[in-house]
Amino acid sequence: MKLQEYQAKSILKKAGIPLPVSNLATNAVQAKRIAAEIGYPVVLKAQTLEPGRGRAGGVRIIQNQHEIENISNEIFKLVLNQHPIQFILVEKALSFLKEYYLAIISDLDAGTPVLRLSEAGGATNLEPESFKDALIVDQPIDINAGLRDYQIRGLMTRLGIDPSLWKQFQLIAHKVYDVYRKYDATLVEINSLVLTQQNQLFALDAKINVDAQSLFRQESLYDSFDPSYFGWEEHQALKYDVDYHSFPGEIGCMVNGMGLAYLTLDQLIALNTMPAAMIDIHGGATSTSIASSLEMLLLNPRVKVIVINIFGGMTRCDEAADGLLQALGEGLPKKPIFIRLEGTNDDSGLERLYKNGNLTFFGTTDAIVNAAVGWLRGDEQ
Amino acid sequence: MSILVSAESRIMVQGITGRRGRFHALQMLKAGSPIVGGISPGKGGGWCSEGSLPVFDTVRDCVEATNADVSVIFVPPHSTADAILESIDSGVKTIISITGSIPLQDMMIVKSALRNSNSILVGPNSPGVLLPGIASIGIFPHDIAIQGNISVVSRSGTLCYEVVNTLKQEGIGISTAVGLGDDPIIGIDFLTCLELFEADPHTDQIVLIGGPGGDSELKAATYIMEKMTKPVIAYLVGENLATSILRPFFSRSGSLSLEALGSKTDALKDAGVRMAGKLSDIPALIKR
Repeated sequence: MKLQEYQAKSILKKAGIPLPVSNLATNAVQAKRIAAEIGYPVVLKAQTLEPGRGRAGGVRIIQNQHEIENISNEIFKLVLNQHPIQFILVEKALSFLKEYYLAIISDLDAGTPVLRLSEAGGATNLEPESFKDALIVDQPIDINAGLRDYQIRGLMTRLGIDPSLWKQFQLIAHKVYDVYRKYDATLVEINSLVLTQQNQLFALDAKINVDAQSLFRQESLYDSFDPSYFGWEEHQALKYDVDYHSFPGEIGCMVNGMGLAYLTLDQLIALNTMPAAMIDIHGGATSTSIASSLEMLLLNPRVKVIVINIFGGMTRCDEAADGLLQALGEGLPKKPIFIRLEGTNDDSGLERLYKNGNLTFFGTTDAIVNAAVGWLRGDEQ
Repeated sequence: MSILVSAESRIMVQGITGRRGRFHALQMLKAGSPIVGGISPGKGGGWCSEGSLPVFDTVRDCVEATNADVSVIFVPPHSTADAILESIDSGVKTIISITGSIPLQDMMIVKSALRNSNSILVGPNSPGVLLPGIASIGIFPHDIAIQGNISVVSRSGTLCYEVVNTLKQEGIGISTAVGLGDDPIIGIDFLTCLELFEADPHTDQIVLIGGPGGDSELKAATYIMEKMTKPVIAYLVGENLATSILRPFFSRSGSLSLEALGSKTDALKDAGVRMAGKLSDIPALIKR
């Protein structure tokens, strides 16, 4: 899960990483007051988790008090990928000599954290094309040994960073790694890390992604998840430990396992159709999480037809059936439901479901997807 | 006869008194799997699975009493790393974690420990290892495959079921089916599994099921090109995603990854792998 920039910066600040002074504004008048306290020039930064903030005009340098309210209002009017801007971070604008990139990323194939350093930091270099030719150096970290000074030095010498700056870089790299470990992050990124005329490093932008599977031990982050950003479905998904993905189509899908999610999506796309939602209930889902997943699909006004594709291994089909019947018995909107239920305890699961008249049964992924798309097209005509 | 486990393996179940462990231990026994005992801290000395299996407090106790050399893990996600490390520490050869959704950094700690050990980890989030007619280790649905000489390796559990079941419909039998696991960080990858299949006298052909994310299929392609003598058929799920109309909607979608599979498809094709365009194409690609 991604944290907003202001949340990431508050964590980095607490960890002792040098940042320019900043404060959060929810309207233009506040932005002006904060700027007066900080002193001009300031940068106004739209707070959003969507990409393309800079291109859309969501990051602006303000030289004086005459333009700040107008420009703040322009930023508050921005909508990025259907998400309106609700907060602006008002930050002291620094002039700097050089921009670096410093991050701890996760190498999933090797299963290690990696310290990544580059001389090509900064918003202007975010485009993949310009980043491509820049020197980027990586150092895998053995999580049981921790990040060592020699590893940081190794990267700095490869980048040709002046030894007078090594201490600052080392301090920041260790603190970024500490944040990565402490908050169960999958990514802690400073882009850019700037060098000022006074030879000091400051973190201008920060990104922290937190591992969703570790949230149970990250209570301090519960409040960090922006309630305005995540909808009801995302909250339900978090509560019942299922994956919820929203798409702009009309078919609501429930599957067990990521492979089956990809397979079902593949087949829908092959038929030129989009799902409205894809819910992955994972292996071994309980009847409660299956009931609440079906509830999400029944209550979603965009969902016209429901596809339930379960091949149970750890997921027991009898438990799945109980969950489905539980949701169906609650007087929720009625929609056609196409079911493929196979695997562990499928006989007893199917027996329970046969009694319900809303359900139609299929034997394969191919068959159920074809039927749902066929039904939808028949309905449209 | 098989890879990773065999009829001679001595298997223990970590988390045998939990809801899932209890249910699936019994299923495994019914499938004829050589289970010798279970672990449940605090419940050592008892018996489970209708009184047929002894329960131990620690993995070491179980290994000493039963000579167990394979462990199957059903404990909850937050204690899975601990369970894996306990098995590594007790010298267990093959560790299969059925439990998934393990905290990412827990798995990094496990990977580091594995590098300094002789243990092999399958999973987490693996359906297990299936040897039709001999044993079913993990959570494979009952009766989805018949015995034969085709081996299957898949990252996804449900797709592994789909494939062995599709082959069964066509009368094609399986030697070993391995689910590598759906979690972001896993133990053995396609490459290791292919090496084991290449050396296995009871595997004639291999079906590999891959998908978006990571470079494991690319490493497999290099190995197939340079070393492998047995024919490989591959099916990559998620093929339509990268070029699809869904593209703009993937930026927020947590675990689904949107990645062009083109380079993986090309690399496998170059290595002489026969590519299945869809699931139902697989049986026809197998050489009879």
